[in-house]
Amino acid sequence: MGRIKAIIVKEFYHILRDPRSLTLVFITPLVMIFILGYSISYDLNRIAAAVIDLSQSRMSKALVEAFAANGVFSLRRRDQAGHALSLAGAEDLLRRGTIKEIIVIPADFSSSAAGGQAQIGLIIDGGDTNVANLVYQYDERILLEFIAARQKTGQLLKIGTKVFFNPEARSQFFFIPGLVAVILLMISAMLTSLSISRERETGSIALLFISPLRSREIIVGKTIPYIIVALLDGAVILLFARFWFGIPLRGSLPVLLLFALLYIVAGLSLGILISTLAPTQRVAMLATLLSTMLPSFLLSGFIFPLDSLSPVLRAISYAIPATYFLRIIRGVVLKGAELKHFLFEGGMLIALSLVLLAAATGKFNRQRKAAQ
Amino acid sequence: MKLLYLVKKELIEITRQKEMLFLMFVSPVIQIIILGYVISTDIRHVPVGIVNLSRGQAAERIIQRVRQSPLFVVRLESRRSQDYLTPLKKGEVKAMLVFRDALDRKRSLLKYPEVQVLMDGIDSNTSMIAAGYFNGIIKQYLVDDMEKRGRGLPLAGRPVFRFNPRLRSINYMGPGIVGFLLTIITMFLTSASLVREKEQQTLDTLLMSRLNTLEIYVGKALPAALIGLVDMVIGLLVVVLWFDIPFRGSLFYLFLAALVYLAAILAYALLISVLSSTTQQAMFFAWFSLMIFLLMSGFFTPVENIPAALRLVADVNPLRYLIKIIREIFLKGNGIAYFWKDLLALAAIAAALVSVSLLNFKRFISK
Repeated sequence: MGRIKAIIVKEFYHILRDPRSLTLVFITPLVMIFILGYSISYDLNRIAAAVIDLSQSRMSKALVEAFAANGVFSLRRRDQAGHALSLAGAEDLLRRGTIKEIIVIPADFSSSAAGGQAQIGLIIDGGDTNVANLVYQYDERILLEFIAARQKTGQLLKIGTKVFFNPEARSQFFFIPGLVAVILLMISAMLTSLSISRERETGSIALLFISPLRSREIIVGKTIPYIIVALLDGAVILLFARFWFGIPLRGSLPVLLLFALLYIVAGLSLGILISTLAPTQRVAMLATLLSTMLPSFLLSGFIFPLDSLSPVLRAISYAIPATYFLRIIRGVVLKGAELKHFLFEGGMLIALSLVLLAAATGKFNRQRKAAQ
Repeated sequence: MKLLYLVKKELIEITRQKEMLFLMFVSPVIQIIILGYVISTDIRHVPVGIVNLSRGQAAERIIQRVRQSPLFVVRLESRRSQDYLTPLKKGEVKAMLVFRDALDRKRSLLKYPEVQVLMDGIDSNTSMIAAGYFNGIIKQYLVDDMEKRGRGLPLAGRPVFRFNPRLRSINYMGPGIVGFLLTIITMFLTSASLVREKEQQTLDTLLMSRLNTLEIYVGKALPAALIGLVDMVIGLLVVVLWFDIPFRGSLFYLFLAALVYLAAILAYALLISVLSSTTQQAMFFAWFSLMIFLLMSGFFTPVENIPAALRLVADVNPLRYLIKIIREIFLKGNGIAYFWKDLLALAAIAAALVSVSLLNFKRFISK
């Protein structure tokens, strides 16, 4: 233990010698969460749409009124010169991205409605499929309500919807805990990813090789100091999310911190493995970013739900630490879930760390033997 | 000509390690393919639970449709009133569908049941889409049921999806990936390049050479630009050939926009390199900038959702314009008339970044 302490102390000197990096470690995540917390959002405020009412009947006007009254759409009926919008003009607006949808009410609307066969055209910008789906769903809902109101069949079928854990369905509640998880993993991996490759580049790795310490002790000793740094950083990030954005903490804080610790160790272990593999700092840097950023954006459930993924991709997601911590942090923070709900996730985080550390030690040992 | 030697030296330095070659040319292909599959998977197999308290036929028929739909996976079914919240809390299901008999004022049974949808609101996007699917199933049931009795719904909306008729999300996201990769690779190659010379004290050698400041500056940026362009071509090929995304616009403008963008991002990366004194600092700066660039570019979530106070950050984000131009060209086949403003904004940002970064670079060299 005394021998490990020596390397811990040495590594602490490394950290303290570069106070600017240390400041960056604490400041950048907060700025990121601040900016991104407000900016990443699925919540569409107003959908800009054009209305072309060729019927101009009482019923068509009532329908346009129904779209306007809903509050979701901001309707456009005239062009800049104040004339009624033409279809070609509206199509051009759609192409420019000024509007997301064109609602076309045909000339024979009211007569065919009397016959029970009326149709209206909904020309939707299909580019962003997510937005297109939402727009179409709003249309459908408004149409159904309009029919129910006209036919006085309000009780056609009563559908009540209730949203739990996030009653206003704000996507901030979804994204901010996710952001915390992604940032924490990247910070942890970055902290250790240069520690060995730096020694390799400056040549001081030879001193480590000939030291009496075992490889295992060197790897563990190089990881421990960063646990403290990363855990402090994690606590600061969590507090910021809690108090600035008002993300509730419905579960217990010690439980969350315990899992955060496991998660941080997994991230640091990944960094140290990259560090032993990379010949230079530049390679280590690129490898760390590529191996943490896109996988934790894409395959962890941060943005895209895991349930929809194909089995192969789901299998990959099990190797990504962020997958587990995302489930944990969303569960504990937003739903008040407890320790016993996440035994599997916790176990997987520990297993991942052990595998990564063992691989790093093995690789380091081989390099050491080769050097001697 | 002298410049060529520096470019050559930089290229040798970058490509000397086979790990680097892998990271630069193989990993982008892997990333694009994975990314492509992730984003082209539409939301389906949403896990739901069903509690059926209704004795009517209608509820049973609707539930039958939910069971058969590939959009849902029914994880639990029950006919007893129970604790609806626990499965939601554990994350087993994303929604609970509760069917009850509906009674009118005279307390006689209505034909259709009352349905309550209890949703997990955390992933609000998935929940909303799932609720939409469910509404769709119910609506279809109603339409079928009415048609059986010789009546149709009196009014229907007929949707047409422009630019992407089958609503393939890969058509929207795929081309953007190219911009994404261009950013990651070039930013990391360049942001550490000067720092490295600082750390290894080889900078003096470079300064003693007969190259002037501008030549050194360009010499540092060009190799990454070349690699970036190669990656872009690889990316485009993968996107178009593997994922079968139609390309409708002009290749010329696509590359023009990419070149302007490269100037902006490389100037920015060199600025990081001048300002940082260790590789670690450069890494943090580059990481921070990347996260902001990528997540505020409109790639994942619409730029319009960014609140007004932070719009300025989005407005100076060069990636935002590149992604927009790429999408206009790919998806809509728009000509320059539709995106000249974006191209101009991108050029202005590039010009500003190049001058700031060159100025700092000169000051740094003269020290």
